[in-house]
Amino acid sequence: MNKEIRFDEVSKSYGETEVVKSLNFTIREGERLILLGPSGCGKSTTLRMIAGLEPLTTGDLYMGGERVNDVPSGQRDIAMVFQNYALYPHMTVWQNITYGLRVQRVPKDEVKKRANEAVRMLKLEGYEDRLPKDLSGGQRQRVALARAIVRQSQYFLLDEPLSNLDAKLRATARKELVNIHEAYRQTFVYVTHDQVEAMTVGERIALMYEGELQMLDTPERVYHQPRNIFTATFIGSPPMNVIDVSIIDDVIQVEKQRIPLPLAWRRHLAGISQKRLTFGVRPEHLSIDKEQKEHALCGTVKYVENHGDTYAVYIDIAGVEWIALHEYRNWTQGETVYLTTESKRMHFFDRETTLSLGYPIHFLEEEQ
Amino acid sequence: MQTKWRYTIPWHIVFLLFITTLLFPILFAIGSSFRPLEEAYNDVLNFIPWNPTLENYRIFFGSMDVIQITFNTFLIASCVTLFKVCTSFLAAYAFVFLKFKGKDVLYFLFIATIFIPFSVTMIPNYLVISDIGLSDHLVGVMLPQLADAIGIFLLHQSMRTIPMSLIEVARLDNLSHRRIMKDIVLPLVKPAVTSTSIWFFILSWNEYVWPVLMLKSVEQYTLPLALQMYMSSEGGTHFTVAMAVAVVTMIIPLLLYLTFQKYIIGTFTSSGIK
Repeated sequence: MNKEIRFDEVSKSYGETEVVKSLNFTIREGERLILLGPSGCGKSTTLRMIAGLEPLTTGDLYMGGERVNDVPSGQRDIAMVFQNYALYPHMTVWQNITYGLRVQRVPKDEVKKRANEAVRMLKLEGYEDRLPKDLSGGQRQRVALARAIVRQSQYFLLDEPLSNLDAKLRATARKELVNIHEAYRQTFVYVTHDQVEAMTVGERIALMYEGELQMLDTPERVYHQPRNIFTATFIGSPPMNVIDVSIIDDVIQVEKQRIPLPLAWRRHLAGISQKRLTFGVRPEHLSIDKEQKEHALCGTVKYVENHGDTYAVYIDIAGVEWIALHEYRNWTQGETVYLTTESKRMHFFDRETTLSLGYPIHFLEEEQ
Repeated sequence: MQTKWRYTIPWHIVFLLFITTLLFPILFAIGSSFRPLEEAYNDVLNFIPWNPTLENYRIFFGSMDVIQITFNTFLIASCVTLFKVCTSFLAAYAFVFLKFKGKDVLYFLFIATIFIPFSVTMIPNYLVISDIGLSDHLVGVMLPQLADAIGIFLLHQSMRTIPMSLIEVARLDNLSHRRIMKDIVLPLVKPAVTSTSIWFFILSWNEYVWPVLMLKSVEQYTLPLALQMYMSSEGGTHFTVAMAVAVVTMIIPLLLYLTFQKYIIGTFTSSGIK
């Protein structure tokens, strides 16, 4: 059976407020798709619509080729992991894991077999008789996962499942989640606001903002070829530098400074009439130098921030703040520095529509 | 150490006065029920039975079918409690976990009925019950008491503390509402259900005005009505016998309270804080 999920002009409003706006996309069978976005962007609502916990305001939702707008949650063959885990507090770990199956009248032997497998897989042996209140956050999260796994559903939905864990546990839990999915290959939809989780867990990322889908693609493309300015600045930390520039006679003008437009971009942007653009470059792709260099932008160091493995150097260029990442801290406030980048690390966006102007074709080929 | 005493003694005195005020009528009733009538009349306030007697109890048990009356009271209180808790539970469940149009308005109207005094509904209820021929019948006493907004309110407060995601997990498991109520909601609000039940039971057990209106024949009487027999114009003023009836009336609710007091106190404090 085809297990894809398709949104056809789906929108959701609460009274006057439209929280999800005409979504059109398909989650492929068996893939790990991440719904990513800042809080309030409609990602959780989208997930809850798939689960049948929120009715659609307009549009149609298809699961496995069938329109499911009016199909109740319980008949959609969904397993879901909630942010607060939603474990029944009065039931033991074992009862929590098996309750759903017992209600569905799955034969006793089968219930035992599946639950034992899940308990083993998630290292919950010895905890079967404990109540949720006697477990740590990480253990509760694993019980919630075990309860979802034993259902052997076609669709696996996770609503910020790792947000209550500490950083170290989160890293191991991410790996666990990927392993679980590799083992069962359900259609896997995962909501998070954490881009690291999205990058590490996702096969594709659907980035949402203000109820609209901004970009749906692989983590690599979302990072290297963002579709619009929002995507470019949301993904990556510190965020991409985006600066309004003009291109006149194949020269990029940043306020009063000028650097020549690289050849590949000259050809690519030749057909574009609008010459007032937004230029983008990631902090990790900027090189800083104390010595003057050819085709470099000149700026003054404002301050330096310690990020552990690198230093973020905040630089003022004609009143606009740029961020560059550098290995060493040898920068002093007020010092004059020179910034350069490679041509294939540049991004150009339309200032009006905020959409990307695309990339020279041989850059794209190199990425692949 | 000295300052501590100076600080606590006045409070202890206040509490002692408070407790004495609360306990006095109960001790008075128990003490008086064991005193001969003449002696009690001569010195009303001194309730300690220096010459204890069981005469008052003998008079009460001899003049009425106490077992029947206690059974009537128990039957009414149990049925009323059972029904009222069921209706309150179902209504509270709907108000907390179901989505329907006009939910908030309806809940507000339900809660508003708490503030309607009994005297307003008494006459209409009396006319309706008489009209359907249930006056002087235990069912007639029970009928108007079968639903109560207070119960809905108390259980609503308790159910509200259950995270919605628990119900959503159950819905994803394709559970019926009956299953959700029985396996998930009921175990989680058990303390509230228990204490609400005890409270309803005691209220109904002590109910006086409505049974007085409804019940005419002695064999249908409840304990509070029996009490009235010895304290009114019809029954004379055998107040020591009346006190014996009062003690008998007190026993069952008191036993219930002592058994479940932990739940009762828990519910009232938690519904206040949350």
